[in-house]
Amino acid sequence: MDFLDRYRDIVPDFKAFRAIQSRPLFSSARINTLKIEREVLLERLTEEAVPYRRFDWYPLGLKIDVESPGKLVENLLGHIHIQEELSMVPPLVLGPMPGELILDLCASPGSKTTQISAMMENRGLVIANEPSLARVAALRSNCERLGAMNVAITRYDGRNFPRGSFDRVLVDAPCSAEGRERRGPGVIERSNCKRSLDLSVLQVGLLKNAIRLTKPGGVVVYSTCTYAPEENEMVVSAALNEITKSNESDEAEEPTKAHLESVVIPGLQECPGISLWNGRDLGREMSLSARYYPHMNDTGGFFVAKIIKS
Amino acid sequence: MSQRSSRVRNVFLPLELTAVAELWGSRFGIPVEAFSGYRFFKKANSIWAISDVELPRLSYEAIGMRIMNCKDRPWKPTTAALQVFGKYAARNLVHLDADCARVFLEGKSQEVDEAAAMECEPGYVVVFYRGEVLGCGLYSHGLLVSQIPKERRLASREE
Ligand SMILES: C[S@@+](CC[C@H](N)C(=O)[O-])C[C@H]1O[C@@H](n2cnc3c(N)ncnc32)[C@H](O)[C@@H]1O
Repeated sequence: MDFLDRYRDIVPDFKAFRAIQSRPLFSSARINTLKIEREVLLERLTEEAVPYRRFDWYPLGLKIDVESPGKLVENLLGHIHIQEELSMVPPLVLGPMPGELILDLCASPGSKTTQISAMMENRGLVIANEPSLARVAALRSNCERLGAMNVAITRYDGRNFPRGSFDRVLVDAPCSAEGRERRGPGVIERSNCKRSLDLSVLQVGLLKNAIRLTKPGGVVVYSTCTYAPEENEMVVSAALNEITKSNESDEAEEPTKAHLESVVIPGLQECPGISLWNGRDLGREMSLSARYYPHMNDTGGFFVAKIIKS
Repeated sequence: MSQRSSRVRNVFLPLELTAVAELWGSRFGIPVEAFSGYRFFKKANSIWAISDVELPRLSYEAIGMRIMNCKDRPWKPTTAALQVFGKYAARNLVHLDADCARVFLEGKSQEVDEAAAMECEPGYVVVFYRGEVLGCGLYSHGLLVSQIPKERRLASREE
């Protein structure tokens, strides 16, 4: 766990942050409104004596205190989906609306894809992209179980996803997943800076392409379940800088501009993104992004940035 | 098999709504309106359905939901598709009670009485529990064989 020491200066109440890592987290689930109404589902759980508690901040989120929630009949029938609490945040920040055209650039296993589809009430279109053939199977299976009827799946490397003019794009990037320690101990032990830096090259490529694929005025959400600034603010900052730079070299085209908008989820406590890391200035704008820490909401960890393409 | 034919087999070809609705109408009495709002595609032996929107020009791995398999006769509806369209069915339905529903969800076969399988013709049926579709069953001569896919089955209580 010594690896966490590098976050001593950026995480408030660092002692509590460190202490909570070894405390396991309850499973959580999202009610799938494509197939059942919330009230009916809650009645069913009560009837079957499944112990649950509602999230304070999201009416469709539940903490479920059973050993294998995946085997609950409600899950098998697609009335609920087992999903980490904070994993429900990025789709809410993305804010998809019925009828829109959405790209989920790193989609499998589709927890967020299907949440987006539910928010759109199955109207409009979600392109769920996932290059890994093995992981496409899980994505497909979840979409079918949950009755998501407005999802089409592609298999591009997200950095080369060819074309489109999307209303909103989600980049829920592959990351070092330090925020999952409470669910699968050992993640942090395996973390190292080299890995984060390698991942950040991929992440910048994904985010740059996502911005390119978004229509003017559209929204890009970049999220990870890790703490490393190399994979978070540094990625966002680099992608925005590189876009500005390529404008300068390429005067003929309409310049691409993008800026951050603040991320706030009422009922969840976030910390502002950091603007300075290891002596590097990442730009004050980065404080508009949100860091979620496990000891502040009794959850895992997440990073979310919301980018508006102007 | 020639390269050309294998490539053609892997392509999603648009399919008329009426062609799909006719099949579901004749087996289950589902009205054609239940299918408006969707587009249909055929790939190899499978038929897929997606919400009715223009698809951008991309190379697709999946388009919406796989709703039926036409490899064998009779064609077979997927459990996922019955959970969407099955509620509009008017015939070839089986209504189960709580205990039988559990057996069905465990993926097992069971005898069903006349009252439950009201005038079902042999073949695929829509299986209901308290007015809600559970999935696809295969019915013949009083026997109902669950077609719930393995990964969607409930664990047996005894085991
Ligand atoms: C954090 S997971 C996504 C979780 C998913 N959004 C959900 O909510 O269920 C990251 C995914 O990105 C995929 N991935 C890896 N490299 C990629 C690339 N170059 N382009 C797009 N996706 C990639 C991984 O296979 C993995 O499934």
